[in-house]
Amino acid sequence: MSLADDLTTQSGESSTEHTFATERTRLPKRVWVGVAIVGVYVLVAVFAPVLAPYDPLAQHLLDALANPSSAHWLGTDELGRDVFSRLIFAFRVDLPVGVLGAVLPAIVGTALGAIAGYFGGWADALVMRTADVFQAFPTYILIIALVFALGQGVVSILVAFTLVAWVAYARLIRGEILRIRGLDYVQAARAAGLPSRRILGLHVLPNGIGQTLVYLPSDIVLATLGLAALSFLGLGIPLPTPEWGAMIAAGQPFIRDQWWLSTVPGLVVVGFGLGLSLIGEGVEEWTQR
Amino acid sequence: MGRFGFVLRRLLLTIPLLLGIVLLVFLVLKITPGDPARQIVGLRATTQQLDQVRQQLGLNDPVLVQYLRYLGHVLHGDLGYSYKSLQPVSDMIAERLPVTLWLLTFGTTFTLLISIPLGTITALQPNRPIDHAVRGAGLVALTMPSFWVGIVLILLVALPTGLFPAGGFGDTFPDHVRSIILPAITLAISIAPFQIRSMRTSMINVRRSDYVATGRSMGLSEPRLMRRFVLRNAAPPTISVLALNVGYLLFGAVVIETTFALPGVGEGIVLAARGRDIPAIQGYTLLFALLVVAVYLIADIVTAVMDPRVEIAS
Repeated sequence: MSLADDLTTQSGESSTEHTFATERTRLPKRVWVGVAIVGVYVLVAVFAPVLAPYDPLAQHLLDALANPSSAHWLGTDELGRDVFSRLIFAFRVDLPVGVLGAVLPAIVGTALGAIAGYFGGWADALVMRTADVFQAFPTYILIIALVFALGQGVVSILVAFTLVAWVAYARLIRGEILRIRGLDYVQAARAAGLPSRRILGLHVLPNGIGQTLVYLPSDIVLATLGLAALSFLGLGIPLPTPEWGAMIAAGQPFIRDQWWLSTVPGLVVVGFGLGLSLIGEGVEEWTQR
Repeated sequence: MGRFGFVLRRLLLTIPLLLGIVLLVFLVLKITPGDPARQIVGLRATTQQLDQVRQQLGLNDPVLVQYLRYLGHVLHGDLGYSYKSLQPVSDMIAERLPVTLWLLTFGTTFTLLISIPLGTITALQPNRPIDHAVRGAGLVALTMPSFWVGIVLILLVALPTGLFPAGGFGDTFPDHVRSIILPAITLAISIAPFQIRSMRTSMINVRRSDYVATGRSMGLSEPRLMRRFVLRNAAPPTISVLALNVGYLLFGAVVIETTFALPGVGEGIVLAARGRDIPAIQGYTLLFALLVVAVYLIADIVTAVMDPRVEIAS
């Protein structure tokens, strides 16, 4: 093989790499579709008091189970409350609780997993053996038991989600950190005498957290569905706070005649989940390119 | 060490896990606010009566003694008495468990009926229109709350056709079958996307492997190759994924039984939680954890039997 041959193949390779690189930096279109959908949901949650025509808790028993009309776009429920207003105000419960229900376990799990992975020894043993016992349980059954023990409400739900769901994040980051810990630049930082807190926080964690962030959107979907299911069962957000799952449950007895009471809140859940899934799938594909 | 040794070791490993599970269930319900004795005697009881019940329930003993006593009772199959119905919790479970097993059996069957063909088709034609369509449908299915799917099925199938009841389990065998179909389909819709995805991945990997290429170059026909090598080798990871999803499957059963008013253990735990019935919720939580441990165990053993390499790896 001559030198000229070598040069042409090299330049050929670098030109394909060049087009590949520009394609790589661009996020897939569906990520932006997802961002747009989630953006709309966030705006509705923020501006709920402006968008909702009525007080979501105001009862008008004489006007109960009214059909959709220009006054009540989605009719009224069994207590005469405006369903559209309740649906809009529910954004302010499901969105923050769904997001925090994934983000809090991610923070706690990442912190514990990072400590376990970086320091090893008894810290590692303590964290990982605790993780084993939690993982033996079906996640949501344990959440039901915990919310039962702690009492219904937003705080107990978030505590229960965090106690149960930190395990997966801890395992993920621990594996990453075990990999990164031995790399040259970490050794160099250690040799330079940086304190471990600084090495872990500034040099190790930022390089290991990618996977966790990629999974976060689909975990928010799961947390939102979990919250809706708990409230559907009557074990989540206590009445009369408007919440999507609880609204679906409240509408079920009237499914024959007022079918929109249950089905429309479900579509709203699906829309939110789809927006997040598009972001999650797109970003995952992007990182694998 | 042979296959028998692997199974034995796997069985022994579950013992400390079971002890941990009983401890966690015990502790969770121990931190529950509210005095169980007060719940039994009512608000009007005298302090003396209250104290007597506390003594009877052993609530005055140290926590460790209470745990060991609870463990002893559990090992004898004694899960205590429901605060609400005053029935033994083990009897309530025995009454309700068959309904849940019906749902899980039909639900798993429907899941496999959906996911094996769709997983195979998408693996045979990756990135073609059919693959994109199935993946898109799976993405949507994963965002649908299962209880909502159940209600939509009641609205669109049960009510117009009258073929299936909108709820309940019926009294006769044909009634049972008719009442379980829609709940089982609901369960399958929420589980199938995971199964299809894992089946597709493992089949694509097997089809790329050297021994399949060798088989093809030896002139084996595609259908024979598929049956003899691809399906057989793609099955163990698919079983593992089905087993790993069992926790999700059981929570699906809880939600779907409540949606369709099926009197199974899933509806049982919900009613127990709503009624703040501590012994009942303790019993059901333990039962669900035991089911998960049992399924993991069975899946490991089945995988070991199907794939002889497992024992070497362990």
